[in-house]
Amino acid sequence: MARSTVTLNAPAPLAADAPWIVMKFGGTSVATLPRWQNILKLAASRRAEGARVLVVVSALSGITDALKQLSAEGDEGKRKAAAGAIAQRHQTLLADMQLDMPETLGARLADLAKLAAAGPAQSGELAWSAAVQAHGELMSSALGAAFLTHAGLPTRWVDARECLAAFALPNQNERTRVLSAMVDAKPDPVLAARLAGQGELFITQGFIARDAEGRTVLLGRGGSDTSAAYFGAMLRALRVETWTDVAGMFTANPRQVPTARLLQKLDYEEAQEIASTGAKVLHPRCLSPLREPRVPLLIKDTNHPELEGTVIGPQVREHARSVKAISARKGITLVSMESVGMWQQVGFLADVFAQFKKHGLSVDLISSAETNITVSLDPTENLLDSDAVAALASDLAKVCRVKVIAPCAAVTLVGRGMRSMLHTLSTVLAEFDQLRVHLISQSSNNLNLTFVVDEDVVDTLVPHLHELLISAGALRADDNALFGPSWQALYGAGEPVSATVWWRHVAERARLLKLAAQGTPRYVYHLPTVRHQARALKAMSAVDRWHYAVKANTHPAILRALVEEGFAFECVSPGELDAVAKVVPESVPLLFTPNFASRGDFERGLATRATVTLDALHPMEHWGELFRGREISLRLDLGRGLGHHEKVRTGGAGSKFGLPLDQLDEFLRLADAHGVTVRGLHAHLGSGILGARHWGEVHSQLASIADRIGSIAFLDIGGGLGVPSHPGETPLDMAELDAVLRQAKAAYPHYQLWMEPGRFLVADAGVLITHVTQTKGKGAWRYLGVDTGMNSLIRPALYDAWHEIVNLTRLDQPGTGLFQVVGPICESGDILGSDRRLPEPQEGDVVLIAQAGAYGKVMSSPYNLRGETEEVVLED
Amino acid sequence: MTTTQPRLTQTFRFLHARYADGVAELAYAFDDGAPLIERIRFPDAPSLSPERRAAFDAALKLLHLVAGVSYYKAGVPPKIELLDGALDADTADLLDALYLHGLAEFAYRNHLDLRGRIQFPRAASSSTRSEGARAPALDLPARTLVPIGGGKDSLVAVEAIKAIGGEATAAWVGHSDLIATCAAATGLPTLNIGRELAPELFELNRLGAWNGHIPVTAVNSAILAVAAILYGYDSIAFANERSASAATLEYDGQQVNHQWSKGSAYEQRFGAWLHAHVAADLDYFSLLRPFSELAITRAFARLTPYFDVFSSCNRNFKLIGPKPADRWCGQCPKCHFVFLALAPFLPKPRLLSIFGRNLLDDETLADGFDALLEYHEHKPFECVGEGAEARAAMYALSQRPEWSEDALVARFRETILPQLGVAQLALEPWLEPAAEHHVPARFQGALKAIG
Repeated sequence: MARSTVTLNAPAPLAADAPWIVMKFGGTSVATLPRWQNILKLAASRRAEGARVLVVVSALSGITDALKQLSAEGDEGKRKAAAGAIAQRHQTLLADMQLDMPETLGARLADLAKLAAAGPAQSGELAWSAAVQAHGELMSSALGAAFLTHAGLPTRWVDARECLAAFALPNQNERTRVLSAMVDAKPDPVLAARLAGQGELFITQGFIARDAEGRTVLLGRGGSDTSAAYFGAMLRALRVETWTDVAGMFTANPRQVPTARLLQKLDYEEAQEIASTGAKVLHPRCLSPLREPRVPLLIKDTNHPELEGTVIGPQVREHARSVKAISARKGITLVSMESVGMWQQVGFLADVFAQFKKHGLSVDLISSAETNITVSLDPTENLLDSDAVAALASDLAKVCRVKVIAPCAAVTLVGRGMRSMLHTLSTVLAEFDQLRVHLISQSSNNLNLTFVVDEDVVDTLVPHLHELLISAGALRADDNALFGPSWQALYGAGEPVSATVWWRHVAERARLLKLAAQGTPRYVYHLPTVRHQARALKAMSAVDRWHYAVKANTHPAILRALVEEGFAFECVSPGELDAVAKVVPESVPLLFTPNFASRGDFERGLATRATVTLDALHPMEHWGELFRGREISLRLDLGRGLGHHEKVRTGGAGSKFGLPLDQLDEFLRLADAHGVTVRGLHAHLGSGILGARHWGEVHSQLASIADRIGSIAFLDIGGGLGVPSHPGETPLDMAELDAVLRQAKAAYPHYQLWMEPGRFLVADAGVLITHVTQTKGKGAWRYLGVDTGMNSLIRPALYDAWHEIVNLTRLDQPGTGLFQVVGPICESGDILGSDRRLPEPQEGDVVLIAQAGAYGKVMSSPYNLRGETEEVVLED
Repeated sequence: MTTTQPRLTQTFRFLHARYADGVAELAYAFDDGAPLIERIRFPDAPSLSPERRAAFDAALKLLHLVAGVSYYKAGVPPKIELLDGALDADTADLLDALYLHGLAEFAYRNHLDLRGRIQFPRAASSSTRSEGARAPALDLPARTLVPIGGGKDSLVAVEAIKAIGGEATAAWVGHSDLIATCAAATGLPTLNIGRELAPELFELNRLGAWNGHIPVTAVNSAILAVAAILYGYDSIAFANERSASAATLEYDGQQVNHQWSKGSAYEQRFGAWLHAHVAADLDYFSLLRPFSELAITRAFARLTPYFDVFSSCNRNFKLIGPKPADRWCGQCPKCHFVFLALAPFLPKPRLLSIFGRNLLDDETLADGFDALLEYHEHKPFECVGEGAEARAAMYALSQRPEWSEDALVARFRETILPQLGVAQLALEPWLEPAAEHHVPARFQGALKAIG
C-alpha cells in the first residue's frame, strides 16, 4: 500500500496570532486507515487556509463501550484480557498504517494494562473507571499524532487534561462530578499563545478533562463534541468543524421523513432547540460555550466534504421567517393534576414539585391553568420499570386529583419568532383537530411550539405535518439559502421527481409548444406513459386482476390503451358504465362500485355484466330482492383511512365509504336471507399512498374476515397507489409492493387478489398547457396569471394538491422570483400553485401544469362559463 | 373439482391416514365425492423405529379422526363412516364428545343442534370399557414438547420448565412469523410442523359449506402426540389455564365453551387415551391448569424480554413488526383482556409501552370492556378469563391513583362498582393456584415457579 503523504506547497510559517480551526472527528471517523487519510487531507487543507489546526478525536468506534465493560468487570483476569483485546485493536490499525509503535501510544497501552490489573481498589470506583475510559481518546490521539506526523504533517500531541479544567456545581454528586463533568470554557489567550509557540497542527482528546484535584474526569454523553466546543471557545477559533456521517441537521428526523431537508444555516438557539427536541447529530450542550465568543460551528459529512453542511452561528436577520424543523420525542408520560386548592395558594406548586423530586422523576414541559397543572416526564428506565409513577400518583392524590396520561409524544415545531408565524400554520394546526392534544407549550424564548399527543399517531403525523409545513409556506423549503437538499437526495433513493418525465424531452417539449400555439388551455395525454405505468403494474404477478378506476380519466383513447394492456375496468356510476361500454369489448370484466347509489343505479348496474359492490346495509335491507341469486362484492370500512388530505381518505368513521365492521354480521344475515352470495371483499383506504406495506395490511385484514365468511373468492384491496408530486418525495417502491403482495398472496393463496388503481396509470401522462396572460405585484407578493384555473384543474383548490408548474418556454432558465400562479376565475382560491420559483415570465409564455392526467378534465366545471378545456391525445 | 352442495351431503367418510417420509396424509370425503386430503409435514423426521410403530399408528389414527372435524363441519351430514372399521368404545366416546362439545359454538352460531347427530361407529364387541388399560411404555426420552402460540401463556410455561432445568422444544403448527419470533426469543430448540388443509375445503366453502369455530387445540394436540412418538418426547405441556374450562354461555340446555378442547375435561380424557392406546409413558397435560389468567399474567409480568415480541391479539395474528400497533390492534377482546390483566402487575408506563396506547383511557372501547366484565352482556366468544377476574383487575386499578382517573376506570368506579359487592372483588384469591390439575410429579417444581 502506498503510504499517504501530503506535500504542502511549503506554506509560509504561521504568524503567532494566526486564527485557529478546531476539527472534531468521531469514533467511526478514526477507526480505519482510509478515514485517517481523509483526516490528513482535511487537516492539511485547513492549515493551507492559513490557520492553526487543533484536531479533537474520539476513541476508535467500539472502544469506549469495551472500556466501560472492562471497568464493570470484577475479575482481574478478565479485565487484563479485555485490555489486551483493546490494545490489539490499536496495534492492528497501526500495522495497517505501516507504523512502528510510537512511544506515546506504547505508554498509554502500558498504563491501561496497569489500571486493568490494579482494579478500582486504590483510587476508588468512579475515579478508576474514569481513568480507564479516558484511555480510548488518549490512545486514538496518540496513534493519530504518529500517523499525521509520519505522513508529512508534523502534529503535536496535546493532553486535553492540561487545558480543560472541570469545575464542580454545588448540586452535583460525586458521580456526575467525575462522569459528567463541566468546564467553564472562556477565551484563553494564554493557552492560545502557549500552543502557538509549539507548532501549527495539534491533536488532542475529546471527552476528557481534569478536576481541581488533578484527577481525570469525563464529560459525559456527546463529550467529544463538547470538548471541541470548549477548545473552540478557549482558542476563539475561526470555526469549529464536527465531522460526522451526516451532512448536518435536517428539518425532521430523516428516518421518519426521508424528504427532510438539510438545514444550511441555524442560529445557536435554534440549533440547540432542535438538538434537544430530537436531533441526534449534535449534543445540545456543546453549543452554549460557543455562543458568547460567537464561534460558528459547522457540521460536515466526512463522506461528502463538498456539501456545505449545517452552519450554526449568531443570529442573522436577512432570512424570511420560517419554521426550521419538526421533531418528535416518544415515550412521554404526562401527569395532570387538578385541584381548586392551587388557586392563589402560596406554595402549592412547590409542594407538588417536591413530590416529583422525591420520586426521582424529572419534569420537562409544564402547562398550567388556574385549577390544573400538567407536566411531562421524559422516558427513562426508572420510569418504565419501577413503581415511581404509582408512588408519585399516590402521594399527589392526597392533595389533588391526578391523572397519568401515556404513552404520549411531544411534537415540536422549531423556528425563531414562532409566535409571528402562527397565521401561516392554520392548515398545520387544523391537523390536530381530530387528535387528542394533551398539552400545548410555547416557551417565552419564542423558539418552539410543542404539542403533546398520543404516541401512536406520530409516525404518520410527523411526515404529514412536515409536508403541510412546506405546502403552507411555513417551512420555506423554497429558500435555497436556508434549506439544502433532502436527506433522500443525499443518502436515500435519490431525488426522484424525474428529469425524464416525458414532457421534458426536447422533441416532446417542441410538440407541446406547437400544440400550445394552436390554442390553450389544453389537456395533453401521452399514451406511451399510460402504457408504461400499466406494464409496471402488470409485472406484479401476485395480482390476479387489475382494474382501471375510470373515474380518474374517462377519455376513450385511454380506455382503449388499457384494454390493450389487459386491464379490467371499475366504474362508480351508470354514466361511467355507459362510457366504458362504448369503448370496451364485451369480454372485458367490469366492476361496479358505487357509493350512496340509488336503487335505480343498482338496477342499471345489475343489468350489465359488472360485478356489483355494495358498501352499506340499506340496499340489502330495503332492496334485498333486487340482488336475489346474485353474487356481489362487499366494500368494508376497516376503520382507518390513509392519504394526503382529509378529502381523499376513504376509511374511518369520518368517511362515507364502506360498511363498518360491526354491521358485517347483519349484512351477511340479510344476504343469506335474500339468497345473495358475497363473493368478494373490498377495501380502499385512500389515495396517494406511497408506502407499500399498507396493502399487505389491508389484505391480511380482509383475508382474516374472508376466512370467517367462507363464500369469498376474491379480495379487492383497492388502489390509491401514490404518484410523487412534490420534489423530494419517494416514489412507491414497486419491487417492495410486489414482495408485499406476493407474501400476502402466499399466506392466503385461495383468494384471488384484485386491485383497482386509477391515478397511478394516468396522472403523469397528462399535462395542462396554458399561456401567461399577465403578472401583478402586490406588496411582497407576485402573481403570475395564466389563461385557465380551477375551472380546468380543481385539485389544488380542493385538496391543496401540489402540481409541478414550469414555464415551458423558458424551461432551461433558472428560477428567479417566487410566484403565485393563478387563473382567471373569480374566486380567491383560484390558485394553481403558491410560492413557485420561476424564471421571469413574459406575456405569451407557455406554462405547463404537470400530473394533470388524473382528476383533471373529469373534475373540470363550467364555472364562470369559460368554455370546455380541449383534450389532445399523443398516441406515441 | 367437486360440485357437491356441502349442506346436502349424507355421509362423512374417513378414507385413510398414511405416513411416509415425514408427511402424514389424512383423507376424507363427503358421500361419493372426491377425497379431501390434508397433509401434515414433520420437518427433518427421523426414521421410525419398529418398537414405536404400533404407538405411532395409534396416534396417527387418532389424528385422522380428530382432524376430520375441520371437514365434517362443512356439511354436518347425518352419518359418519369409517373405511377401516368401527372404533372401540373408548375412542368412539372421546370423538363423540369432541365433535359435540368442540363444535358447540359452531352449532350455536349456525343455529344447528348436533345432539344425537354425532355418532362414530363403534364395534359391538368392544362395548365394555377398557378402564385402566395401559399401552406399553416406550422408554421415551425425558423431554417436553411445549406448543407455543405467540401469546403470554405458553411463554410462562416455557420459562417455568426452564426454571426446573427441564429439556424442552418450542413447537407450533403452521406458518406464523409472530410465533417464530417468540420461539426464537425463548432460546429453545424449535419444531415447526406444517399443516396444509385440503384445498377442496375452500371450494366447499364457496359452495355454501357451514363455517365456524373448530376445536383447533384438539387437532394440534393430536399432531403433537404423533410428533412426540416420531421424534421421541415423553411429555406435551400445553399452557391452558383454569378458566378455559368455563362455559362461555348456555344455550338451549347445552353448555357452549369457545375453548372446550382447552378445558380440563378434554385434557384429562385425551391424556388418558394416550396412556391407554399410545404409550404409558407419554404424558399430556396443561402446566397452567391450576392457575387463573391473573396468576399467569402476574408471572408473565416478570418476563420483560418477551414484552417486545409477544402478542395475544386475534386480529393482527398474521402480522408482526417493531411497533406496538403491529402486534396489538387494541380493538379485539384479547387485546382488552391482556391489557386489563397485566395492568395490576406492571408499572403503568411499561404496560403502555407494550401496547403503544392506553386502552383504558379510550371511551370508545367501553362496550368491549363491559363485555369482559360481563356487564350488560354475555361473555364474548374469545379465550379470555372469567368476568370475575376482569372485575377483580378493574377493581384493583380503580383503587390506584395512577389509573383511577382513566376514562374506563373512572366509569367503572362511578357506574359499575356501586352495583358490585366489594367482597367479591379482591385480586389475591385469584393468585392462589388450585389443587386440581393433571401435571405429572416431575413438573411440580415448575408450578411453584409460576405461582
